[in-house]
Amino acid sequence: MIQIDNVTVRFRIPHERIPTFQEYAIRWLKRRGVRYADFNALNDISFSVEQGETIGIIGPNGAGKSTLLKVIARVLRPTRGRLRLRGRVAPLLELGAGFDYEMTGRENVFLNGAVLGFSRKDIARRLDRIVDFSGIGDFIDAPVRTYSSGMVARLGFAVATDIRPEVLIIDEVLAVGDAEFQQKSAARIREFRGSGSTILVVSHSPASIKALCDRALWLEHGAIRAIGPADAVVDQYAPGKPVR
Amino acid sequence: MIDRTVATNPRSTAEVAALAYDSDLRPPPFVDELVQLWRYRDLVLLLTGNILKNRYKRSLLGILWMLLNPLLQTIVLAIAFGALFQSALPHYPIYLLSGLLAWNFVTQTTQYAMGVMAGGGGLLKRIYIPRATYIVAVVGNGLVNSLVSIVPLLLVMIVFQHPLGASWAFLPFSLLILTAFTLGLALLLSTASVFFTDSIDIYQIVVQAGFFLTPIMYPPSVLPGPLNDWLLLNPFYLLIELFRTPIYANAVPDAGLIASATALALATLLTGWTVFTRRVDQLAYRL
Repeated sequence: MIQIDNVTVRFRIPHERIPTFQEYAIRWLKRRGVRYADFNALNDISFSVEQGETIGIIGPNGAGKSTLLKVIARVLRPTRGRLRLRGRVAPLLELGAGFDYEMTGRENVFLNGAVLGFSRKDIARRLDRIVDFSGIGDFIDAPVRTYSSGMVARLGFAVATDIRPEVLIIDEVLAVGDAEFQQKSAARIREFRGSGSTILVVSHSPASIKALCDRALWLEHGAIRAIGPADAVVDQYAPGKPVR
Repeated sequence: MIDRTVATNPRSTAEVAALAYDSDLRPPPFVDELVQLWRYRDLVLLLTGNILKNRYKRSLLGILWMLLNPLLQTIVLAIAFGALFQSALPHYPIYLLSGLLAWNFVTQTTQYAMGVMAGGGGLLKRIYIPRATYIVAVVGNGLVNSLVSIVPLLLVMIVFQHPLGASWAFLPFSLLILTAFTLGLALLLSTASVFFTDSIDIYQIVVQAGFFLTPIMYPPSVLPGPLNDWLLLNPFYLLIELFRTPIYANAVPDAGLIASATALALATLLTGWTVFTRRVDQLAYRL
């Protein structure tokens, strides 16, 4: 369950950049004050997502999609409003967050696991299963800088999804690794969906939103334009676009 | 045998319910950040170790640099100023090195912490981790560095046949106080560095001036009378003396010094934590 009530995220953008004491002091002395423009990346948004539901988030660039996901992932605390959710959030937007490329894959499993809030003991217990799912094989003891980008993403995916998260945030059609791994990861996400995880998907593809999601949320200029059954909202958002 | 199935729900319902999040019911940041830091303690420890590993992994002499660095610093300064202070300070290199250790711990750690936060705070705007994670890890790394630096200090003491007394038992307390002060200062300065980038440059000047205005490489008696009275207001002096007295003078610092240094460290830590946690939710907006 995710409940969002009247959430506003306000960024304060100075008219002129004033990042130093010196300029700040000069301005203050001149009594000109510092002028800011407020920009609401999200403007008084309310909606809720039921447990086990898959919801697609659509909208043009700059609509506030990423900001919304950051609020749900608790990276940004809303300026106003309330967020309630239950369970662990796995943000698959940041696969391998905190990876240290000088360290081995094995060391990075622990590091990434710790970033996601797992204890060292917990990761140690699940290490074999994580490495096995990632398909990294013997490379697990090589520095991550020797990995291909696909391998990095695979390892990150394996760590983040080893335990079923209650809330899953996915960007676009999750294209991680080669065809075989894509099938494997898609199967795992389907499994989560079947066992009651709530899933948020951000995508620019009307077809994949229709295929994956129960409902869709259309954001524009930080406000909700429409929310409802995926087919209806997507058709409204992108009328006449051919479904691939 | 590897278990290939995905654990569907290994946690008890109670544990999952404990993960319920409500932005309105969150404790005040002053408390919440502490709780989160404790929850993510493994991350703090891992990052502390990684900073150490990364700094020395690729250099030829590896960990030896950690030992050589303070030693070389001491040799250079002892050559330059040794003759000057030899009469006032017998076994001058020991006076110098013990002072340098405390000074380097505080200043290098705080400068490093500022740089990390001003440089984007790593992950802070990409994923949720306790926002003090990096700062605490950097201070932890500074503490380990200081502990390692005690090895070259012992070496110099052997060379000069400087007595090593029971007063060394006081050093853990000195380091604890130094760490508390450094953490507080690092929190304050890192917060400042996010909001004003030039605070890094300003602090650099303060550190440079402080090195010469604090009796690190000279005895306090060198300072002219009026300045000497102000010496007790120099926080660095208090902390350095707290660390140096058990080593150089083979004595436990007097009660007045212990009390004022402890009060200073606790006040700095409390102020730093308060300022940092009051701004903590703005960090992701500003980084």
